[in-house]
Amino acid sequence: MPKVWTWTLSWYGGALVAGGLVGYLYDRTTLGVLVVGLGLLAWQLYNLYRLERWLATGEITEIPDGDGVWPPVFAKIQFIKGKVKRRGKRFRKLVKELRASTEAFPDGGVILNSRHEIINYNQAARVLLGLKNRRDRGQRIENLMRYPDFVDYLNNPGGRQAVDIPSPAGGDTWLSCRLIPYGPEQMLLLIRDVSQRVKIEKVRRDFVANASHELRSPLTVIMGYLDALAEDDRIPDGWKQPIGVMQDQSIRMRRLVEDLLQLSKLESGQSVPKDHVVDVAAMIAAARKEALALPEHPDSIEIELQSPANLLGEETELQSVVSNLVANAVRYTPPEGEITIRWTVDADGGHLAVQDTGIGIAEEDIPRVTERFYRADGGRARQRGGTGLGLAIVKYALRRHDAELEIQSRLGQGSTFVCHFPRDRLALS
Amino acid sequence: MESESFSHHISRRFNAELEHLRSEVLRMGGLVEQHLDTAVEAITAGDSDMGLRVSNEDHKINKLEVTIDEECRKLLATRMPAAADLRLIVMVIKTITDLERVGDEAAKIGYLASHLATDREPYASYTELKALGEHVQEMLHDALDAFSRMDVDDALAVIEEDKLVDEEYDQITRQCISLMMEDARTIRRFMDVSWVARALERIGDHAKNIAEYVVYLVHGRDIRHTERETVLQELEAAKGDRPASG
Repeated sequence: MPKVWTWTLSWYGGALVAGGLVGYLYDRTTLGVLVVGLGLLAWQLYNLYRLERWLATGEITEIPDGDGVWPPVFAKIQFIKGKVKRRGKRFRKLVKELRASTEAFPDGGVILNSRHEIINYNQAARVLLGLKNRRDRGQRIENLMRYPDFVDYLNNPGGRQAVDIPSPAGGDTWLSCRLIPYGPEQMLLLIRDVSQRVKIEKVRRDFVANASHELRSPLTVIMGYLDALAEDDRIPDGWKQPIGVMQDQSIRMRRLVEDLLQLSKLESGQSVPKDHVVDVAAMIAAARKEALALPEHPDSIEIELQSPANLLGEETELQSVVSNLVANAVRYTPPEGEITIRWTVDADGGHLAVQDTGIGIAEEDIPRVTERFYRADGGRARQRGGTGLGLAIVKYALRRHDAELEIQSRLGQGSTFVCHFPRDRLALS
Repeated sequence: MESESFSHHISRRFNAELEHLRSEVLRMGGLVEQHLDTAVEAITAGDSDMGLRVSNEDHKINKLEVTIDEECRKLLATRMPAAADLRLIVMVIKTITDLERVGDEAAKIGYLASHLATDREPYASYTELKALGEHVQEMLHDALDAFSRMDVDDALAVIEEDKLVDEEYDQITRQCISLMMEDARTIRRFMDVSWVARALERIGDHAKNIAEYVVYLVHGRDIRHTERETVLQELEAAKGDRPASG
């Protein structure tokens, strides 16, 4: 027991005993104890009253004194009060610093609750989104950012990391918006100005599209004259072979230009509407026919249709996916090899697989084969008529159909290219 | 946000329903805005695919109009709203009609863009159309913002903008006429251009209508077909005695 309590208790006990003794002298023991007890009670009440006043008003700065247990109690309260005050000051300073640093942040940040209502935002967000100071708190974000892509992303982020949308504040500003949920009820919307990136991409796309377009017309003229020359009897025999090579090369060039044009169209990345049904069986059959028409092709090109389901999307694009994959397989498979085109549907969606027993792809090359003009083995594909753009076209066309390309391969044992289509791209009859 | 004018309902469901209605209208607005943006871009970029895409996807907007209309009717029948709530629903019914018309005009512009893109001639930048288009896009955007913020000042600013749009439209028409007189072979093209300008001008009118509904929604005053000065005076007077809300 702390010393102060022993002291207080003995003092009070002593006072009560003394009261009792004085009472005993006058033959009023009980009264004596009672009077002293009441006096002590009054003294405690008085101190309690002072403590209450001190705490309630907070005006009295000096510690009210008392006796017994009271001085330490007062001192302790005083100490806690000071600590709280200092801590409050520290917190206010911390909050101020934090706010200043988020304000200085170049990217916009908006805090939303589960109903998408704006709770808070920083200066950059205010400028980028054209929010109005204070007034827009509590407003649902999609009421002000109405761009359909963004609203879709907000309600159903799916696998998407971020979406690019034009700024609601107008101008040529493009914003990349990213939603980061935290805690049970809140999320952070990060906004970054990507106008520069979008602009550069557009310039590049436009350049490739325009350049290919402009290259096409002179090429047509050259090819026309080469055709005429090849059929002309007056040409000396020595020139027959060079003209043939020129013809082959100009055909390759035209295919390259056409692939570039197609790629620049596909790159725009917008999702293809789901309003056309594309016949998968017919598409695969057409690709097989094309492959068999190639001068060199494996003996066996099998089709395994394990589902009657069809796809929803753009027929020409899906056809070019299948044709490119099959042509690719033909290019890398020796005549005695086998190619299998398989269409299956399960709970995850539709899977279109093109499997070959060709030369395969080294593991380190797999992530890069869909890059433009990337070649796993230098010259070989070029000899066999590839443009180097086929798999890039496949990748972008699939992306426009919300689908993904998976590549499984082993060097020397063959490759399997699988296109995974989500369920809502299937037309189940 | 539970805006003050309809925040005090005994039925919290009704509040949520009104809030949802508002969001649906703005979602439709967002879609219409996107169509307009694409249509204007199709004109300036001379992209016929883009233009056709807008004109083919108009049905999405029409479908939204039908759904929201249905929702309004259901609310009218089951909740029997009064005062500010009734005004909101009436306003929504009118707004979606205007938005649907904007969608139609955008589809028309998209279709004309695919026409204009096919005949390539030196005069192909259409700067005036671009300026008018941007002006109108901004008006529609501001009108919808004014609706989501219930901001009368912004709404009045949109109404004021419409005059400038009308002037720009007149200018384009005059320019088209003089270009047609210069060279009769261009008549066909400039007919298309003036149709586009006409459609844009109509969209400006629809945006103005929406802004007027916002004033009606907040103040309960119908300011259509009224001079600006009178409107401002009336609104000043109305500040003293706001209409009974709720």
